Amino acid sequence: MSDNDNVITVTGEWRKPPINVDIDNRPFYDGLKAHKLLLWHCNQCGAWYWPKSYCQNHENEPFAANMEWTEASGKGKVFAFNRHHWAFHPGFKDDVPYVYALIELDEGPLISTTLVGETPDDVHDIGQEVEIVYEDHPDQGFTLPRFRMTGN
Amino acid sequence: MAKHPSSGKYAIIGLGVIAGPQPDRHQRMVAAEAARLAIVDAGLTPADIGGAIDLRRTGGGGDRANYTDAYSRVLGLKNNFYFVVGRGGALAGLGIATAISFLDRGIADYVCLMGAVADWTHSQESKKQGHRGMSHADKEGYWGKALGDLRAVSHHSWMAARHMAVYGTTSEQLGAISVQQREWACKNPEAKMYGRPMTIEDHQNSPLVVEPYHLFDICQVSDGGIAFILTTAERAKDAPKTPVAVLGQGFGEVSAELWWENKHFTHMAVAPAKEQAFGQAGLGISDIDCAQLYDCFTSEVMFQLEDYGWCEKGEGGAFVAEGPIGPGGSIPVNTGGGLLSCYHLGDLTGMAESIRQLRGEAGDHQIEDCEVVMTTGHGGELLSPGMCSIHTCTLLGRGL
Ligand SMILES: [Zn+2]
Repeated sequence: MSDNDNVITVTGEWRKPPINVDIDNRPFYDGLKAHKLLLWHCNQCGAWYWPKSYCQNHENEPFAANMEWTEASGKGKVFAFNRHHWAFHPGFKDDVPYVYALIELDEGPLISTTLVGETPDDVHDIGQEVEIVYEDHPDQGFTLPRFRMTGN
Repeated sequence: MAKHPSSGKYAIIGLGVIAGPQPDRHQRMVAAEAARLAIVDAGLTPADIGGAIDLRRTGGGGDRANYTDAYSRVLGLKNNFYFVVGRGGALAGLGIATAISFLDRGIADYVCLMGAVADWTHSQESKKQGHRGMSHADKEGYWGKALGDLRAVSHHSWMAARHMAVYGTTSEQLGAISVQQREWACKNPEAKMYGRPMTIEDHQNSPLVVEPYHLFDICQVSDGGIAFILTTAERAKDAPKTPVAVLGQGFGEVSAELWWENKHFTHMAVAPAKEQAFGQAGLGISDIDCAQLYDCFTSEVMFQLEDYGWCEKGEGGAFVAEGPIGPGGSIPVNTGGGLLSCYHLGDLTGMAESIRQLRGEAGDHQIEDCEVVMTTGHGGELLSPGMCSIHTCTLLGRGL
C-alpha cells in the first residue's frame, strides 16, 4: 500500500484472466493508469455513459463524434453487492471471500468491481458511499479500478 | 380476445431427448441422436426434414458450431438449410420464430430444431485445472473477468441481492422455489435430482457459493440434447402423436433501455413479451395450466412470477413461500424439476417438459387436464456489469 490511500501497488505475477483492452476502451484503461476515471460523455447534452455508446437523447454525429472520454468524480454508492465464496477460476483462490459490487456512479452509469478495505456485511444493506482506488500493476503495465467505502 | 392469424397455424409433432451425463460420447453424436429420436417420434424419415436449426448459446459469448459438427451432416438429413440460432439460454423460442418463416414460405415442410450441450463433461475436465462450475466457458471480451466476475452467477446474484435490498426478500424465500422444484424433480426419473428430496434447511445448509446464493439456488451443469420437429397445422393433423400448437410468441430486450436502468436488476424484459404472446393467443395468465419459467437461478423464477402478474412486484418472496409452484400448487412451475433440479439445456428443458405435459406424457409429474403451457427463455450478452438481455415467451396448446 502506498502513502496515498487511493493508490495500491501490486507487483509480481498476474495469475488471473487478462484484462480486455480494445480500440474502443483503450482511452479508459489509459485513464486508469494516469489515475483518472474516464466516462464517455456527451458534449451536446451532458449525459454520461459507460461503456462507450451513442447518446440516446438525440441524433448523433457519425461514430458518436459528439461524445468523448471525460474525467468523472470517481465517487458513487453501492447499488448491490455479492460475496464470492468459491474461486471458480484458480487465480482467485487467495482472494475468496471477496465482495464484488455494482457501484452507481454519481454521474449515473453503473460500474462493477471489488471493494477493498472494510466491506458491508448484509446484502440487504446498500447505499454506502464509495470512492475509487487505483490498483497499479507495474509489472504488467495496467491499472485496475477498485472502490472503498468512505464511511459516509 | 381476438387471436392473431398465425396463432395455432404451426405445431410441434416430434420430440427427442437425451438426458444425463454423456462422458463416452461427443456432443455431435448426442445432437444427431436427439434429432433422430425426434424424427422417429414424428413418424417421419430424415428425407422429410427440409431444414435444420442448431440451437446454441452464441449470443452469450458461448460456443459456436464447428462446421463438421452440423448434426444435419452427421445424421444425413437432405435439408436445404442448416444454421445456428440462440442467445444464451434463449434457444427454442427464437428457433420456433425463425423456423416459422421457412414453413410459411413452403421452403420446408418440416423443420428440425435441436440443441445439445456437453457442459458436465467439460466441467469434469476443467476441474482438473482448478476451475469450478462453468468457468471453463469464459470468453474474452467482457469487463469483469480480471476482477473475479464469473458472468452468470456473479450477475444473477447481484439481482437477487438487489431484490433483497429493495423489497426485503430473504434467502429462505428463494429456497422455497428450489424446494418446490425439487418436489417436481422427485416425480421425474429423468431429473438429475430424482430421488433426492430437499428441505429449506438443506437449502440453508448448502454452501454459500456467491452470496446471497447458496449452492441450491444454482442450476445444474449438464450434458444432453433435445430436438423437436415443427410443421404446419395442416401437416400436423397426420402426425401419430397429439400435436402441440404454437399459440403465441413474444420477445423483450432490456437493452432497449439504458442498461443501468435500476429496474433491470429486479425485472426481466417480460412486459413486451407478455403483451405480444398473450395478445396473439387471445389468452391471459389465468389460462396457463403450468409454466416452464427459465430458472438459471432461483430469483429469476420469482422475478417472472411478479413480472407476469401472479403476484405484485416485490411480493414474490412471500408468494413463493406459500408453496404455489410445487405439486398441487395454484400455478405449477417447472414441473419436471427445471434447470435447478432436472437438467440445463437452456429453454429446451422447459420446451421438452411443455410438449410432454400437453401430450399427457409427463408420467408422475403430469398436470391434470393440461391444455395451455407457457415456456420462457432468457439470456444474451452479459455486458458486465449486469445485463442478461433477452426474454422470450412461447405459449403452447394441446391439439389443433
Ligand atoms: Zn447527448
